[in-house]
Amino acid sequence: MRQDDRAAEMTRQQHLTQYVCRARFARKGALSFIGHLDLMKVFERAIRRAELPILYTQGYNPRPMLVFALPLGVGIDTTGDYVDAAMAVPVNAEEFMAKVNPELPQDLEVLSCISIDEPKRSLMSVVTYAEYEIEAPGITEPALRLFARDEILMEKKNKKGKIVSTDIRPLMVKPFEDSTADKVHVLVSAGSVSNLRPDIFIRAVCIHEGYDPDKASEAVITRTALFGGEYPDIEGIEGLV
Amino acid sequence: MSVESPGRYVGGEKNQIIKEDVLKELRERGECTAVRTAFCFPDVYEIGMSNLALQILYKLLNSEDYTSCERVFSPWHDMDRKMRENDIPLYSLETKSPLYEFDVVAFTLGYEMAFANVLQMLELGKIPLKSCDRKETDPIIVCGGPVAYNIEPMSDFFDAVFMGEGEELDLEFIQEIKKYKDGGKKDRQAMLREVAKIEGMYVPSLYEPEYSPEGKFIALHPIDDTVPSKITKRIIKDLDSVLYPTAPVVPNNNIVHDRAYLELFRGCIRGCRFCQAGYITRPVREKSADTLLAQGKEIEHNTGYDELGMLSLSTSDYTELAKLTDGLLCAFDGRHTSLSLPSLRIDNFALDLMEKASSTRKTGLTFAPEAGTQRLRDVINKGINEENILSALRLAFMGGWSTVKLYFMLGLPTETMDDVRGIAELAKKIEDLYYDVAREMGVKPRRPEITVSTSMFIPKPFTAFQWEKQNTMEEFLEKQACLRECLKKVRSVRYIWHGVETSVWEGILARGDRRLNDVILDGYKAGSLFDAWDDNFNYERWMGILASHGLSWEMYARGYECGDVLPWDHISVGVSRNFFLKERERAYREEITPNCREKCSACGANCFKTGVCYETR
Ligand code: SF4
Repeated sequence: MRQDDRAAEMTRQQHLTQYVCRARFARKGALSFIGHLDLMKVFERAIRRAELPILYTQGYNPRPMLVFALPLGVGIDTTGDYVDAAMAVPVNAEEFMAKVNPELPQDLEVLSCISIDEPKRSLMSVVTYAEYEIEAPGITEPALRLFARDEILMEKKNKKGKIVSTDIRPLMVKPFEDSTADKVHVLVSAGSVSNLRPDIFIRAVCIHEGYDPDKASEAVITRTALFGGEYPDIEGIEGLV
Repeated sequence: MSVESPGRYVGGEKNQIIKEDVLKELRERGECTAVRTAFCFPDVYEIGMSNLALQILYKLLNSEDYTSCERVFSPWHDMDRKMRENDIPLYSLETKSPLYEFDVVAFTLGYEMAFANVLQMLELGKIPLKSCDRKETDPIIVCGGPVAYNIEPMSDFFDAVFMGEGEELDLEFIQEIKKYKDGGKKDRQAMLREVAKIEGMYVPSLYEPEYSPEGKFIALHPIDDTVPSKITKRIIKDLDSVLYPTAPVVPNNNIVHDRAYLELFRGCIRGCRFCQAGYITRPVREKSADTLLAQGKEIEHNTGYDELGMLSLSTSDYTELAKLTDGLLCAFDGRHTSLSLPSLRIDNFALDLMEKASSTRKTGLTFAPEAGTQRLRDVINKGINEENILSALRLAFMGGWSTVKLYFMLGLPTETMDDVRGIAELAKKIEDLYYDVAREMGVKPRRPEITVSTSMFIPKPFTAFQWEKQNTMEEFLEKQACLRECLKKVRSVRYIWHGVETSVWEGILARGDRRLNDVILDGYKAGSLFDAWDDNFNYERWMGILASHGLSWEMYARGYECGDVLPWDHISVGVSRNFFLKERERAYREEITPNCREKCSACGANCFKTGVCYETR
């Protein structure tokens, strides 16, 4: 089932009282080489191994009710992503972590967890911004030049397969001060309304600022945080229930 | 990393095993005293990880102090290229050790089309391809699996071959290698001679083939009389007491068969005359339902899988099926775990079970009549008749099923065009039946989906048809075209057929002799790889190389005389050659042979002193 189908499914099931464990997790190494659908399965199985009172989706192929904040592309590490696990009875955060962490494969870890009774909003719908660290030789200088532009046109295929140009500049919020020569730290739009994938950002650095595509292909990308709210009043995901 | 599906090259899955001893060696360059085995699957990760033998032997070889095991898979073309360009040796997933550092490199061979990939893995692992070129410190290259029973076409590349079931043989072999390692790896030849003394181990280099001046295979001779002239397979007597991996490795990325498995039994009571799998695994040995229930619960808990597959050659023949499935369903209550039940014979019990237990609804019902007419089904001893099929389908259609898959073979011995047309006639009867049932029940019929799938008959060693001539490419194509034409008249049928070219090549390899070693080597050097993947297979190139070695299709596919020595005659799977001959004669007389539970036909497999041969009938 696709992520948004699942969200819809959850809404349909709102008559069921849900006790959500909202977990912040990190992934690196081997676990970064899998796609988002695979990552969902890895979590589902770990939660089944942990024998937690997870709720299942209805329908022909019931699956543990998990909702991820934002899909993670292949090759991207994270230190600040979120997943909501819907339980049939209240499960406290410590118990969730103590049971799930031993069941996760190496390179995947729940860092913290909060329990939420009957959340009003789906986790996916609250995400509006993401923070990334992009590490590649000498990338920061051209990346900062990119931020100085007013308009950055990037071609992409639309849903019908036609190539269209869109301006990604409005999606680039700001670079952070702590960027070093080989590591640029940025805040960009994310979520279901408008989303800038880090690989598209890097490609823009190559196309518009002449950064070496070979170096770009070796870039190490880490998502370090997710936020909700409207810039500059952004807030952490934990509180957005 | 810019390769397709990078997840297949990194390991790090739940339940992966890394032994302390090995880690110590890698960290401190200290001496690892355990025998280190690289378990190689000559295809991509997603296929290899779906293989039960791999999971079993991985666990077994990590279960004792003196042995450790890591996994290695064939890198896909893109990774293969990258590794060669950057001079990266093929490495294990667990500790990323290069293949050449292992003591033993073990392959499991399930299909002949993976031969070229064995060479790829050895070459990328920086190991000399030919056994005769390896030095004392090179790993010992071994293989097992169904294809190993006739390993002659690959005999140059393996130092030793396992005949039979790994759980029975592997540790004995590893102990021999342990002695070799402890002794400082001094005399490889002497070690191989010791290995050859282990019952069930075949060391190809200790035998020499003889051919007639006309190029006919005459015999395979042991090089001296200390070498056994016959190697008999080894099997597990009691499956209940043998180790089973209840915490198998759970891949992080999606694989071909993404589920956990229970193995219900080995062997098959049925004796279909073309079926190598059935004969080489004789006699039938079951696990008790109690053992399986306990293992099933553990596996489900240890893996988190939501599907548990029941593995055997014929699920319905498991004597405690109802007890097992009831028990599992009860244990999985509330956890939404389904059972996958392949090759169920359809009756009321089966339909009810599928309704309750399984995810088969999605894929529909499958039948394998194998042949289109009763005459030909009797020839192959397929104990199923038209009435069985139609009455089963009547039940299924009444229960609301409308998707049916039918599997057939073209080119079976004695087949005529009437038999080919019989396939379409059977499909037509099934379609009519569907509409009849709908009418009787007074419901508006949907359109049924009937899939007819044909593969080409390939005569295999250790079957009643091991002497048969294989159809020519032209015969196959003619039959396929005829069937396609006939099936056009059956509206709800979709026809799927398998490539003729791959079947022709597989036929050559399956009954091949040692002269094919150089053909396979040349084919690999010329670029053949992943031949099991249709778009990679290059038929013309293989046939060209075959011809350049003075060999031909006829030499291997025209069949053997009953008196001929066969290239695999030095191997025994327990079932006697005499029995195969008798079965062949019965086939020509269109006579059925009863299954092992109805009546023992004295096939010879009772020599293993276990299983169905000793059940009271
Ligand atoms: S000896 Fe008899 S019972 Fe045993 S496998 Fe052979 S035919 Fe079957």
